[in-house]
Amino acid sequence: MKLRIFILLLFLVVLFFQCGMHSADCGLPKSEDRNPKYGISRDAAIKLFTDANEKYLQAAKFIASKKIQEADQHLKEAAKQYETILAGGFKNGQIYYNLGNTYYRQGELGKAIVNYRRAERFMPRNADLDANLRLVKGYTEDREFSTEIPVVIRRIFFWVFLLNQDELSIVAVSLYVVVMIALFFSIIRKYAWLKRVLIGFSIALFVAMVSLGIKIYREQGVNCGVIIATKCEVRYGPGEEYEPKFEIHNGAECVIEDEKDDWYRVYVNVGVKQTPDLKEGAEENVRDDVRRGWLQKKHVDVI
Amino acid sequence: MRKYFRFFSLWFGIVILFVCSEKTFAQDIRLMATVDQNVLTVNDRLELTLTIHGTQDTPAPSFPNIDGFTLLFGPNISAQTRIINGDVSVSKGFTYVLQPTAKGKFTIGPSTVEYKGKVYSSQPVSIEVVDTPRASGLQSPDLEKLVFVELSTDKSEAYVYEQVVLSFKFYFQKGLPVGDIDYVAPATKNFMEEKLGDQRQYEEIRGGIIYNVLELRTALFPMMSGELVIAPAKVKCNLIIQQRRDRRNTPPDSFFGEAFFDDFFGREQKRYPVERATGSITLKVKSLPEEGKPKEFKGAVGSYNMEVTTKAQQVKVGDPITLSMSVYGEGNIQTINEPVLVMSNENEFKLYPAESSTQITNREELIRGRKVFSKVIEPQMINLKSTPAIVFSFFDPRAGQYKTISKEPMPIVVESGEQEVPIQLTISQDKVTTAKQQVQILTEDILPIMVNLSSLRNQGNRIYKNPFIITSLSIPAVLVIASFLLTRHKVRLTSDIGYARKRRAYASAKKRLNGAQSALNQHLPKEFYACLSKAMSDYLADKLNISSASATEENVGILLRQRGVGDHIFKEVSHGLTDFDHRRFSKDGGSFDEMERSLKFAEELITKLEKQLS
Repeated sequence: MKLRIFILLLFLVVLFFQCGMHSADCGLPKSEDRNPKYGISRDAAIKLFTDANEKYLQAAKFIASKKIQEADQHLKEAAKQYETILAGGFKNGQIYYNLGNTYYRQGELGKAIVNYRRAERFMPRNADLDANLRLVKGYTEDREFSTEIPVVIRRIFFWVFLLNQDELSIVAVSLYVVVMIALFFSIIRKYAWLKRVLIGFSIALFVAMVSLGIKIYREQGVNCGVIIATKCEVRYGPGEEYEPKFEIHNGAECVIEDEKDDWYRVYVNVGVKQTPDLKEGAEENVRDDVRRGWLQKKHVDVI
Repeated sequence: MRKYFRFFSLWFGIVILFVCSEKTFAQDIRLMATVDQNVLTVNDRLELTLTIHGTQDTPAPSFPNIDGFTLLFGPNISAQTRIINGDVSVSKGFTYVLQPTAKGKFTIGPSTVEYKGKVYSSQPVSIEVVDTPRASGLQSPDLEKLVFVELSTDKSEAYVYEQVVLSFKFYFQKGLPVGDIDYVAPATKNFMEEKLGDQRQYEEIRGGIIYNVLELRTALFPMMSGELVIAPAKVKCNLIIQQRRDRRNTPPDSFFGEAFFDDFFGREQKRYPVERATGSITLKVKSLPEEGKPKEFKGAVGSYNMEVTTKAQQVKVGDPITLSMSVYGEGNIQTINEPVLVMSNENEFKLYPAESSTQITNREELIRGRKVFSKVIEPQMINLKSTPAIVFSFFDPRAGQYKTISKEPMPIVVESGEQEVPIQLTISQDKVTTAKQQVQILTEDILPIMVNLSSLRNQGNRIYKNPFIITSLSIPAVLVIASFLLTRHKVRLTSDIGYARKRRAYASAKKRLNGAQSALNQHLPKEFYACLSKAMSDYLADKLNISSASATEENVGILLRQRGVGDHIFKEVSHGLTDFDHRRFSKDGGSFDEMERSLKFAEELITKLEKQLS
């Protein structure tokens, strides 16, 4: 009799969790389907998104018929509408991706890369996004050395790279619930196999939690940025009075390490020309300080 | 029967052989007079050979009239039959050895022979007899005559791109052992070269001496006008001479002459290097005349003809027609240009670049060959009746003028193209196995935008930041802890008697107090105080895990102090236990109010103890 009560309680708990997930995943109930901060509803976002898409497609037709002026006008309007949705707190990988495409058509490689990178956080498995980002990165002026994680690591820890933060969270929470159920049953019933199941799920939960932590750190703990100016000077210190160290160009990516007033201290991943006595290809051996410098905030868009 | 057949076959074969022989022998009968040398001293001997070519059944030719020589012996008669590549040549030689009797220049007169009613005579031969024995210094003119080279062209003037035959001849006296021949071709800058045939080898009589001739021929095509020089050709060879051992001290050149062709025995071989060079040749090359140059002319020089064929007669618009244009003749075949298609309207046919193949058909006397152009044309209109006319112009250097060959248009029927029916038919294995090509990326562009509205939801609210979720996560943990504690409690109740008594003490005390209440209501003082006393002592016994009998005032006092219970509570407990027992066994049970106060006192005391001992 008491066991039945326990099982009923557990069902209630799981149901409770599912409701919680659903509300977080699919948006709040209709009466509350409104961003409390900015007040843009999903319906308004869909309307703006559809309009912006239509403008983009019209611009593509103008480009095909060599009407550059009209195409530029439509692209500007599309970009503005996408930005409006995002400024309203409504964030989605598709919007960032489409905005990236719009900026690419306008010739702004840096802004396109920023938005593709943002979209990547929501859609890590999207092949179109990957192809576009690769293409746009190919057109940037500065040669970047690869900072990507080796394929072997990406294959072994595939879930970290293929799932976004929300998906990883759902996995972790689900595992937590399963572990709790297993723990509960192992308290009231002393089955040996249940203990092994418990150990297995506990390890999985641990891995999921660590992965989620790493994911959150990589995406939010480290500030990355992209140069959106045509070219900008990286200086030795935070101010015009410091000598310029080198110049980087539109689309180059950097890690923001510090900030002071209107300046960011950045570390750039671009190749640095060697002194003649050093062999080419030994770029990775260059001291980190060489690639570190200060640049104005207005030249960088944070991902 | 078989025996007769064999006989018949043999007879038939002999007849055929004779017929062929008669045919061969009957041609080109001539008498030749040759000598072994035409400059000699009075001490030397002269070998005169009269050779009848073309037949062997003639009498000896008449001995010629020779002044200044006496006949030593002769004639030695020799007959020769040669079969080269099926051509039979026969000859008969009469050799005389003569001794000069005086110095001076002499002429060996013509010899004659009569054969089948015809008289054949030989050419006269000039001989010079010198008196001094030949010293080494005089050998060079002789050597020049023994071995020499000539370079010649078949013409001294030519047009640009006209075919000129360059002939190099290497003469060496018949019987002269020559080896290690190394030929250095003449430098022919400003010419295109094409080798003509294989090396030719034949005999030639010059000044009465028979020479072996090696001839190499090259077709030259001058590429520019002006006086073009063909540089000298060179040849190096070794004369292989048998040297007598007992004359080792004499100069080697002295062997030229009588001793040269002596016996092999008693001699050793010695090689004398000889080098000969021809003179250079200057060729006057004229540029092609501008007058009369047709507009289709593109530089072909020679003598050509043209054939045009096509298989397609009935085609659809857009179907390919292959025109096979074959230009053949004498000249530089490699450089023949493509014939011109004459079209009234450029849009009638779509033209593709022609593919050409070159074939040299004859390179014996002159370069002759054929160049075939396969040109694909596609009719673009329905009402076309014929292929375009084809025109080929060239300059004929023999005639000294331009010539144009025109081929009339060939009739064709052009039908309208049909829509292709998209039915996949069976594919033959040959087509399947053809090599597949890699596609070429023409342009690079980004992929289209995403328009999936169903998945357009706000992804900005992270799950792990949702307070509802975070709060919810604590509930399972609470439940698990609660279940753990509950389970432990149940286990202790069954396994730990002291714990079980302690947990149940309050409940059983309450039960007894309820019994006291009912005794109070019925005003039964003895039962009432018995219940109170029992409730009190049992509660203390359960709480302190001792038997009811041991719950005396003294024991309880010790144990309560050990549990940290205050003195005032102990005094109350002591008072209660004493008072309840006293009233239980006294006759005066007390009034209702007193009993009620006792009940209240007991309830408060047990509550206080519960708080202290839990």
